[in-house]
Amino acid sequence: MRKYILKRVVTALFTLLAITLILFILMQLMPGSPFNDEKLNEAQRASLYAKYGLDQPIIIQFFKYVGNMFRGDLGVSYKISKNTPITQLIATRLPISIGVGFAAVLIGAVVGLLLGLLAAFKHDTVWDTLATIISVIGVSVPSYVFALALSYQFGFKLKWFPMLFSAKDVLGSSVLPSISLSMFTMASIARFTRSEMIEVLGSDYMLLAESKGLSGKKLVFSHALRNALIPIITVLAPLVVDLMTGSLVVEKIFSIPGVGSLLVNAIQSNDYNVVIALSFIYSAMYIGIMLVVDIMYGIIDPRIRVAKEGD
Amino acid sequence: MKKKLLSIVLVSAMTLSLVACGSSAVSGVSQDQQGSDAQQTTADTAAETTGEGSGSDLNVMLETPVESLDPQQATDGTSFEVIADYTDGLMQMDADGQAVNALAESVDVADDGLTYTFHIRKDANWSNGEPVTAADFVFAWQRAVDPEVASEYSFMFSDIGQIVNAQDIIDGKKDKAELGVTAVDDKTLEVKLNCPVSYFLSLMYFPTFYPVNEAFFEKCSDNFATSPETTLSNGAFILDEYQPAATAIHLTKNDTYYDADTVKLPGLSYQVIQDSQQALMSYQNGDLDTTLVNGEQVDQVKDDPAFTAIGAGYLWYISPNMRDVKELQNLNIRLALTMALNREAITTDVLKDGSAPTYTGVPMDFAAGPDGSDFSADQKKFEDVCRYDADKAVEYWNKGLEELGATSITLTMIHDADDAPIKVAQVVKEQLETTLPGLTVELQQMPKKERVERMQEADFELGLTRWGPDYADPMTYLGMWITNNPNNYGFWSNAEYDKIISDCTTGEIAMDPEARWAALYDAEKIAMDDAVIFPLYTQCNAELISTNVSGIEFHPVALNRVYKRAVKN
Repeated sequence: MRKYILKRVVTALFTLLAITLILFILMQLMPGSPFNDEKLNEAQRASLYAKYGLDQPIIIQFFKYVGNMFRGDLGVSYKISKNTPITQLIATRLPISIGVGFAAVLIGAVVGLLLGLLAAFKHDTVWDTLATIISVIGVSVPSYVFALALSYQFGFKLKWFPMLFSAKDVLGSSVLPSISLSMFTMASIARFTRSEMIEVLGSDYMLLAESKGLSGKKLVFSHALRNALIPIITVLAPLVVDLMTGSLVVEKIFSIPGVGSLLVNAIQSNDYNVVIALSFIYSAMYIGIMLVVDIMYGIIDPRIRVAKEGD
Repeated sequence: MKKKLLSIVLVSAMTLSLVACGSSAVSGVSQDQQGSDAQQTTADTAAETTGEGSGSDLNVMLETPVESLDPQQATDGTSFEVIADYTDGLMQMDADGQAVNALAESVDVADDGLTYTFHIRKDANWSNGEPVTAADFVFAWQRAVDPEVASEYSFMFSDIGQIVNAQDIIDGKKDKAELGVTAVDDKTLEVKLNCPVSYFLSLMYFPTFYPVNEAFFEKCSDNFATSPETTLSNGAFILDEYQPAATAIHLTKNDTYYDADTVKLPGLSYQVIQDSQQALMSYQNGDLDTTLVNGEQVDQVKDDPAFTAIGAGYLWYISPNMRDVKELQNLNIRLALTMALNREAITTDVLKDGSAPTYTGVPMDFAAGPDGSDFSADQKKFEDVCRYDADKAVEYWNKGLEELGATSITLTMIHDADDAPIKVAQVVKEQLETTLPGLTVELQQMPKKERVERMQEADFELGLTRWGPDYADPMTYLGMWITNNPNNYGFWSNAEYDKIISDCTTGEIAMDPEARWAALYDAEKIAMDDAVIFPLYTQCNAELISTNVSGIEFHPVALNRVYKRAVKN
């Protein structure tokens, strides 16, 4: 297992390095530059390029960047927040995105699981149909529609929750964005739980367990759900990264000072360093979560663990 | 098992040490930033004022976040507005946009117009208690032209302000210490110019000219102006809630401000809202006192007494590429295009935000002449060459086609991929194609950055673009169309035009306001007669301003909104 993890970590590091290089090349292909304000003349633009080292060959820029990165320096923003170190920009924003995203994952996973279980146990009843309808809506309606609808109903009309994010009331003002973001997760989890549970419930070993006299909670949790969880975790993992790295649209709607809105602004203004740093962090989180998922498989399903240890 | 245990212990030890490093680094920074005791006192007084403040804060919606609070680095309207909330320049704008004394209590201008001597108020202080001195200006201005700082607005000191040696310093040929600005004593600042600049005093309210306290700047080093602790105020308000690219910004009234009696608001609260529907609902909810309204929302709110259109100064126009596009080199074709545009329809049916159809090269309502009248008040002065007249347009068109020996023309127009330009471009295409037989207009939308780059490189045929005034003088537009100016997108060149502009900038008439004004009219006429640009409209922003708020001053130049004299009941 340890050897396996080590191998995965090393691969992950090389993947990240490759991603950074690709990002660098992609930045060069992006039209426009951070300094093409029409009020700048040629000489000024050249001096700005020189100031930030953008006049050097791409490969030198790349190695400099990687070198700085190892020292924890992600460079400064060129445009959206001029000369601010990116670590400072991200340090205040990432926790907010992670907080809202984590709440969304939690709500989505728990409610989704319950809905799925309900649908599976009350298979082919009105409950099942209801749960299915909810999941179809959740998957097909984009989160910003939920965001606007929730904001209108619970923020504007009923005034239960603030319509905009506020640093003074983080908890209260995170409710609406978290719920809007959780809908897709909830619906996906509900659908998967339902189909997996129906399959597991009909399997031979469940029949055996039942015939051995097991019943109720023990049957559901240690036999049925445990087996159904594997595919669910596979679905959940990328969703977790998606949500925790901030939603572009929902952050914009609720004026959340998170990394999602930062990335959009950075791309629009060719703020290379910010785009590279954020994309790098996304990739790192994604690869990290995938690693965690692999390890979790082992914990949930001993067969996978044994198979890997045999490697 | 033992190995496993060992590795767990090692990993936890590493994690702990990392956490420890992290926290000590963080506390180190915060100690640094809190800096002097004086700074602390400011924060304390700020907190007190919030507690006992009469009335409530003014809540203002911002469309975009602040890009920089460093006065010499900022370039966008939002940043300028917030900087000016807590910083005064030598001059500030009055309600009509005229320059009035602020940190300067008096100014002596030499007879030849080449030397300005500013006397700084004795009671002007920074919020850490230190006096505002002439040295603060010298430091800030030298920063603005320092090639290492690479300020994007350094041209305000060279091309526009004509301060001695500014250009050479920007080009790296001279040391920044040679800039024509000296601190004669603590409270006297002397500025030397290359040539008389009639609007020089009006540049003084532009944030790039605001002072920076050198000692404080050095103490903040790289963090200058990135948090309330790293900004100093000498103006009406004190910044007390801000982080880079923040969505919420708060300022509290500065009780030690020399003009504190004028300031009625206890504080200012900004909220960045990028979704227009959310902004409108927040306004209707009472969370905002003012908000922008977009074209689609105008119909919903136009009967509201709080609804108003605020001039934004931007002139939107179409620029033909006259260097590389054969068809557009033909004057008759250009005249046909500009005469086929129904500007009235664009503003009333499409934009609906109060934007005004414009038929002049300089937009309305930002530059007042020696007699106080608006440079572009008369919108009919170029009627012969710029108006909506379909028949006349077709006449020019046919003549042009004949000269070119063509029966049909296809032109591509590039424009920004934003709401208003997309709509305007579609209408322009429809108007041109309907009026002019044989014309096909293809539209290409792209991010603004890319569009600007393509226009500067002459990689376009027609371009829909806009220009906002930098200072209250027609030159901010007319200066653009001289030969080889990077914003002369049409690559037009006219010796007579160049001469008038140069006379008005550095020649004899530069100091004779009436003669200069008349000459600028002549220059504008040359450009319009040649259809160098096809002006479309002067942009207005549709806004809702709560009826219990008064006294917010709106300006199309430099500082878009000034809250010093605003009152909220």
